[in-house]
Amino acid sequence: MKKLITLLLLLPLAAWADDPMEGHHSHEGHMHQQLIDGESLEVDAERFDKFIERLFDAQIAIVSVKGMVCDFCARGIEKTFKKDKSVFKVDVDLTRGKVLIAYAKDRKISFEDIKSKILANGQNATGLQIVEL
Amino acid sequence: MGIRNLCIILCFLSLDLNARPISYSGGSTLMAFSDNMKNSIYYHYSPSYKYSLGVEALKDKQLDKDHAYFRLTYLLNRKNTRQSQRNLYFQSGVSSEGLDSHFYGIHGDWETRRWFTGFGYKQVKTDLEDYSSQYIQLGIAPYLGEYGDLHTWIMLKSKKNSLLDDWSTYPVLKFFKGDFLIELGYSDKTQWDIHAMYRF
Repeated sequence: MKKLITLLLLLPLAAWADDPMEGHHSHEGHMHQQLIDGESLEVDAERFDKFIERLFDAQIAIVSVKGMVCDFCARGIEKTFKKDKSVFKVDVDLTRGKVLIAYAKDRKISFEDIKSKILANGQNATGLQIVEL
Repeated sequence: MGIRNLCIILCFLSLDLNARPISYSGGSTLMAFSDNMKNSIYYHYSPSYKYSLGVEALKDKQLDKDHAYFRLTYLLNRKNTRQSQRNLYFQSGVSSEGLDSHFYGIHGDWETRRWFTGFGYKQVKTDLEDYSSQYIQLGIAPYLGEYGDLHTWIMLKSKKNSLLDDWSTYPVLKFFKGDFLIELGYSDKTQWDIHAMYRF
């Protein structure tokens, strides 16, 4: 029992180390485009195609988010963005840490506004790509 | 150094470590909790992602009394990475019976989509008897669901209350879908440990 308790307590210590996957970038089968900050971003092409089905006169913000590790804790992101009347649709890709937001085409997309809405949910937005449909 | 002291020290050292005691800004959460120590209903509102304010109505099974706590939870530390999130929270509550009955403590978690680990330590002062409680929890997700799917966690929880003076370790299953979460655990010593949560 003592060993079990000790093991359970020690395991979380490893989490203080920097995330080994942070900065990892896969090039397998994803659409790549240029971000406003010059870095490249990945998005699941199939998911993206499904997301934009039946969307017209829209622009898609693809937001990279850190800390979005569970469905339950990402719910607030969808609720926050859906309060905006110029947002048609929101999708969360937990696997890639992306949030897809479909805005009306005439809406000026502000990364600062997106960052503050993501932060209101407790996560950090780190990148933005805008795709015009 | 006894195992008790070692556990307390390690818990405080394991700064990486919990289960969403604060919602998103403007979010509300309703929780129901039942174990060997208490049955309770807890509502909290989060003006910001950094803290929540709430009321917990409970029946204390050990001290055999009903009362309410006015609760504050504050996020002391959070680190978000691409693959993980860790949190450390301060929790406190003042009883409806007066300032002399209160609790304070710390709890935390670290999780990825696959792994979860958490701990909590709480000191409770009452007019009848003071006590402390602590727990540690480790979990694994057997599959990685997409957003909107039913998500499942298989966990192992170990907890101790100074009134009972013994650790109890038992399996816990956690399920969540959408805004609803339920956690079920069972131990021969402490019987059922049930936690349900709805966020809105």
